Amino acid sequence: MRVSTNTLFDQGTKSMLQQQNSLFKLQQQISTGKRIMTPSDDPIGAARAHELTQAASLNTQYAENRQRAGDSLKLVESTLGGVTNLIQNVQSLAVAAGNPVLSDSDRSNMATELRGRFEELLGLANATDDEGNYLFSGFQGKTQPFVQVAGSVEYKGDQGQRLAQVSASRQLPVSETGLAIFEQIRNGNGTFVTAATNTNTGSGVINAGSISDAASLTENNYEISFTVASGITTFKVANVATNAELTGSYNSGEAISFEGLQFAIKGAPADGDKFTVQPSRHENLFATINNFITALETPATGSTGNAKLTNSMNTALQNLDHALTNVLGTRAAAGARLQEIDSLQQAGEDTAVQYQQSLSRLQDLDFAQAISDLTRQQALLEAAQQSFIRISGLSLFNRI
Amino acid sequence: MGNSILNIGVSGLQTAQAQLLTTSHNISNASTPGYNRQQAIASTNIPDLRGNGFIGQGVQVSTVQRVFSQFLFTQALQTQTQSSQLDSYYNEIKQLDNLLADTSSGLTPALHAFFNAVQDVATNPASVPSRQAMLSNAEALTGRFQSMDQRFNEVRDGVNSQLTSTVDEINSLAQQIGRMNLNIQTVEGSSGGQPANDLRDQRDALVRDLGKLANVSVVRQDNGHHNVFIGNGQALVVGSETMALKTVPSREDPQRLTVAMDLGNKTVLIPEHQLQGGSMGGLIAFRNETLDQAQNEFGLLALGLAKTFNDQHRLGQDLSGVLGGDFFKVPEPGILSAHDNAPASSVTAAISDVSKLTASDYRLDYDSTNFTLTRLADKNSVTAPTTGLPLTLDGLSITSSNMLAGEHFVIQPTRQAAKNIEVAISDTAKIAAAAPIRTEAATGNTGTGKISAGKVDTLDANLQQPVTLTFTSSGQFNIVGTGAAATGLTYTSGDDISFNGLTVQISGEPAAGDTFKIEANTSGVADNRNALLLAGLQTKNTLLNDTASLQSGYARLVSQIGNKTRELEVMNTAQANLLAQTDQSLQSLSGVNLEEEAANLLRYQQAFQASSKVIEVSNSLFDTLLRI
Repeated sequence: MRVSTNTLFDQGTKSMLQQQNSLFKLQQQISTGKRIMTPSDDPIGAARAHELTQAASLNTQYAENRQRAGDSLKLVESTLGGVTNLIQNVQSLAVAAGNPVLSDSDRSNMATELRGRFEELLGLANATDDEGNYLFSGFQGKTQPFVQVAGSVEYKGDQGQRLAQVSASRQLPVSETGLAIFEQIRNGNGTFVTAATNTNTGSGVINAGSISDAASLTENNYEISFTVASGITTFKVANVATNAELTGSYNSGEAISFEGLQFAIKGAPADGDKFTVQPSRHENLFATINNFITALETPATGSTGNAKLTNSMNTALQNLDHALTNVLGTRAAAGARLQEIDSLQQAGEDTAVQYQQSLSRLQDLDFAQAISDLTRQQALLEAAQQSFIRISGLSLFNRI
Repeated sequence: MGNSILNIGVSGLQTAQAQLLTTSHNISNASTPGYNRQQAIASTNIPDLRGNGFIGQGVQVSTVQRVFSQFLFTQALQTQTQSSQLDSYYNEIKQLDNLLADTSSGLTPALHAFFNAVQDVATNPASVPSRQAMLSNAEALTGRFQSMDQRFNEVRDGVNSQLTSTVDEINSLAQQIGRMNLNIQTVEGSSGGQPANDLRDQRDALVRDLGKLANVSVVRQDNGHHNVFIGNGQALVVGSETMALKTVPSREDPQRLTVAMDLGNKTVLIPEHQLQGGSMGGLIAFRNETLDQAQNEFGLLALGLAKTFNDQHRLGQDLSGVLGGDFFKVPEPGILSAHDNAPASSVTAAISDVSKLTASDYRLDYDSTNFTLTRLADKNSVTAPTTGLPLTLDGLSITSSNMLAGEHFVIQPTRQAAKNIEVAISDTAKIAAAAPIRTEAATGNTGTGKISAGKVDTLDANLQQPVTLTFTSSGQFNIVGTGAAATGLTYTSGDDISFNGLTVQISGEPAAGDTFKIEANTSGVADNRNALLLAGLQTKNTLLNDTASLQSGYARLVSQIGNKTRELEVMNTAQANLLAQTDQSLQSLSGVNLEEEAANLLRYQQAFQASSKVIEVSNSLFDTLLRI
């Protein structure tokens, strides 16, 4: 084929330009360390990189969320630790107060100490976080959850529980409501409550009772009344709603079972003394402590007074026990969540490494490959240059 | 006889001289663009008939012709046109490719920063700094949308200005070709039919230049004129007459320049599909196939974000206890009235369902009885009678229209969306992080029933009305409250209970007499339920019939542009190679080879010397005769 001189030069220049372009691209890749300079270099890889970047960024954000969730939970946990100590403290006071040796004034001193505890508890229940939001008021972070109204404490918050997004698929509760911690505490033994009537004149003391037959429970109120006739004490247990009755002669400390309930009364009830059994209800911790204080401040003289005091102490101890269990349960839940956060953290870090590796595989340059390409390309360009010089130097005109 | 030898010698001398001249001309024009090598064609003179036969009378140059193949030239012209189209398309799309290049620039980081800030608000719903960060990042995100859209518009403006300059260049080339036609006719007429080689070369070069700009066809006339046609046979050059092209605003979109024939008193639009080939074809194809689509898809992301975020935001409650308003200002659909519509005609349109919307533009036609709404991407359409509005296609609703029969409107729901998205609120307290309702179980409940936190489905007028669910037995309950009242409902643990636009679940074993309350979330400043849902929108598939999230929608755009750029890069390289080969064939025939010319130079030099010798011989013969 006939080759025109123009073609000779054009082709030579063109091939050198192409080689140079490849060299430039390689140099750009090496200097940035990236394989994909623009999406057209690897359209699918580039799109994938965008999605992976989002996943990686979300993963980082979840780690931050976990950090915050952990902080919140730790704050709840430590506040509840304070509440636990306080309840245990009050419990030991209750045990000590049961000592019949104590005088009214001793008990009155104890009551004063208890009032301090009461205020302390109120402070813990109204604890705030670093931004001044109440910990235990549900969704109403700016509303004080526990307010003293006419001698009792009322819950002003709600039942909202805040969740935190701690991983792509897990929303973890990070707040506890005051209602669950301080309010929704079952009184009595959890199923029913035994109590002595305030007007009792005997020394009868009723225990907390237990369930003898769960299937027969009625959830009705019961009244236990005593009659003392010619030295013989008899009791009558009556279901207030159905008027079903059980009567028997009274032996101190002997268990009485009726319609699935079982309880025992000790001491010497007087004629007309009454005890009640009611289905268990919620009683808040503040009311429990308040009742306890009232009982301590009530002068107790003689066996009647002692029996009253013992009944009150029993009630207080039972309720405190439930309160403690409740708080410990909540603490355990918070602890379990903290543990979950830890394991999620571990998983999140592993995932972050994986994302990093995938992104690196997609975007980053294989330097060994690139350097070897660069060397090859360089050799090719040099060859093109030298051959061009040789060929273009050949001309008949040089010899005419 | 001596005279005859002398004449023959002189004819050889003259011929060799002409050939030397032609060779020198070739050598000196070796690198002139569009030059075709020339040959002086020699032929014998008419011989002298004597009794003993024909005695040759020497040589003459009959013509100087260029070595040229019309077939190869036409082939090169076509290849050139296609190559220029791909080249200009590639150069334009490369700008978009660069715009979307990096994961560390572009939309992605701004999108992530914004949603991370939403997560922060979810974690600290009452924190003013977190809320401020969310607003600032929202501003940054809308700013990024706007600045990237600005780049799209700059590319669009670039297309317009390049079209204008291309049209100017075409007009100038057409005029030069017209003048050249006239010149060639004049010169060749006065030279007795000898070809005007160099002028023809120049005209071919002009045609070739024109082919780089647009697809043209050339018709050769007997009188030596080349008539040039563009598009679907619109005459650009006829003889020495030329028509002018001009750019005019498109009928549908005044910001879009398109090409028309300027006939002096009126202009005739050349349909864009006829303007293929050349850099003009590349520009138009880029705008129609890629730029519109890409900008619309980008706008769809902005619109999708604004719409879906707003919809969820409105289901929430802000820091002051008021139901959430719009977080973003949702861009309105662009409505373009056709150029010849009556000025009073108008149409209103709204996005009724952003998840169904496509990146296409739409066109509304009216024929006095029916409205037709057409998706321009694939010409799918829906029809409604005059009274049948709203007319909805793909989540785009035409809500009212005041137009005359035969008029049409183009509706661009997404084109301007990225430009027009804005943050609607500036007060941190207006961020609706909380849910507007809360649920609670009565503290006196004796059963173990638990009520879920509740989920807001729609904005019902009675959403925040207090409602009480009372269990009449462990298996039945009543609902009491404004907007929701029902008795004797059967209870199944964990089942959805929906009323007043909200849904709750009760699980466990509620006892008779147990009550559950749903009420307004008064002073619920630490509630983050809506913020969690807002944060969830980042990965939720809310676009393109619920198949794409914001991020995957963007990734789709990146991959589309990347693929198209790649495709064009490959095609462009292939076409450029094809062009190089065609040019090589052309050059192989018509190009100057200096070795060849050097050899010719020697050959004709020798011929010149030989002819000189003939004259010398003739002279010595004459001298010999004189000496006799």
